[in-house]
Amino acid sequence: MADYQLIIIGGGLSGLAAGIRAARFGLKTLILEQHSLPGGLNSYYYRHGFLLETGLHAMTNYAQAGDRHAPLSRLFRQLKLSRKRFTTHQQFSSLIRFPDVSLQFSNDLALLTEEVGHHFPHCRAAFARLVTAVRAYDPFAPAPWRSTRHFLGEIIPDRLLIDMLLLPLMVYGNSEEHDMDLGQFVIMFQALFLEGFFRPHGTMKDFLAMLVEHYKGYDGELRYRAKVESVERQGDRVRGVQLAGGDFISCDTLLSTVGVPGTAALVDWPPQADKYEGRMSFVESISVLPMARKESLAADHTIIFYNSGPTLAYCRPPTAINADWGVICFPENFQDLPATDVFQVRITNAANYHIWRQASRQEYQRLKADCEALTFARVSEIIGNYHENRVYHDSFTPLTIERFTAKAQGAVYGSPIKIKDGVTPYSNLFMAGTDQGFLGIVGAMLSGVTIVNQRILK
Amino acid sequence: MTRAEINDLILEIIADIDEDAEFDDLDADKPLRDQLDLDSMDFLDIVMELRKRYQLQIPEEDYPELATLTSCVNYLEPKLKDK
Repeated sequence: MADYQLIIIGGGLSGLAAGIRAARFGLKTLILEQHSLPGGLNSYYYRHGFLLETGLHAMTNYAQAGDRHAPLSRLFRQLKLSRKRFTTHQQFSSLIRFPDVSLQFSNDLALLTEEVGHHFPHCRAAFARLVTAVRAYDPFAPAPWRSTRHFLGEIIPDRLLIDMLLLPLMVYGNSEEHDMDLGQFVIMFQALFLEGFFRPHGTMKDFLAMLVEHYKGYDGELRYRAKVESVERQGDRVRGVQLAGGDFISCDTLLSTVGVPGTAALVDWPPQADKYEGRMSFVESISVLPMARKESLAADHTIIFYNSGPTLAYCRPPTAINADWGVICFPENFQDLPATDVFQVRITNAANYHIWRQASRQEYQRLKADCEALTFARVSEIIGNYHENRVYHDSFTPLTIERFTAKAQGAVYGSPIKIKDGVTPYSNLFMAGTDQGFLGIVGAMLSGVTIVNQRILK
Repeated sequence: MTRAEINDLILEIIADIDEDAEFDDLDADKPLRDQLDLDSMDFLDIVMELRKRYQLQIPEEDYPELATLTSCVNYLEPKLKDK
């Protein structure tokens, strides 16, 4: 008999959700996490007495407790977590800001509809048709890749409006450059515009602790600092995993949440693994200010998606970063949050992994400073001087992301090619997580749940 | 298990997987799916609970037998008679 019925590589959100789902129905389950904290991309760290979150700006897919069929509600039922006891804080409103026009949106589609009608009166009917088309489209039905830009071009007669709608949807979940698969677009449109942004009460640390405790309540086991060095195979099956420390652990089924390139390094599959390396990575700058400074900044929105060029260039930049477009998030700007002393400004810009990779240690520090200056030049024009009186500042780069999240080339949204069914050539090895095609915290967790349901429990 | 016990077991499992379930107006001969607004993921939970508690294997082709409360009881009665 194997040591475990199920081993999960990776203690991120898809791995934890998969673990809860399996352990809930009695499978002897072990999660192996290479770091000393859970969460993967969505984790946290401490600096200067501040708890800083990674990844999380906002959770998408907001749904009220009674909305049974919304992804968030289904996720909670599947994990046997109480949605009623899960306190959420919705966003105020967010802004898509282009040079000559801005669009506001909130968790009520009426605001975006009104904004589109006001700024793009000739697109009013087209936008309504788009919403109807998105609601009717089943993004989970198997379908070949379809161009979102082509689809939008046939409905919306204005390239600027198309780029404005695409900016938040792409930057919050598109692993491809320039265009995106229509199914992915529909998932993101629903997650952001039809459902919307919120935060859980408490920090990412609290949320992760709640999941880990719930998992352990079902006798699920979790090992930290447990790096899988190789996967042992026999014919078309995997037998178990070899840990970096020397332990071999056998299992009936293995679930990998470390992406296609990470999995390929363990089992030599798929053959051209580099095709699965995503090109979209980011630099994130975190500034912590005294709360009193908020008044002097243009910081009333929850998130600002800005673009300072005429069109959107969603691609890996040829330079270390591209500060011409990005995301400005104010994590304290959610409804009814408890009062705090500090106000954070988090700015995300697209970055070029290779330039960061090739930099020497000295150059790396200089690049960080240069990029911070580029970002400041753009963003201070929009929100004002967010450097003044700053009490703490940190930034992370594609290298930081790669090191801490096992995402090859720091590609936060993973491979541009997704393995939607989670199946591999090995009959008892499955994939879940970002490279299975679900994105965001709710999406990653649903990915873990779905693969366990379809491939392991049935 | 008697039919009445199986009936209670099913309701107890549904209450356990769905904190919003209300059974006051439940018609035992009408589909559970429509009345309680359950989806296929919820039905999988019912099947999995039965497996966990009674080591009962319900093949996927038999899932339609679980459509109504009465059909559940009919289907499970022989399988749970010694439990």
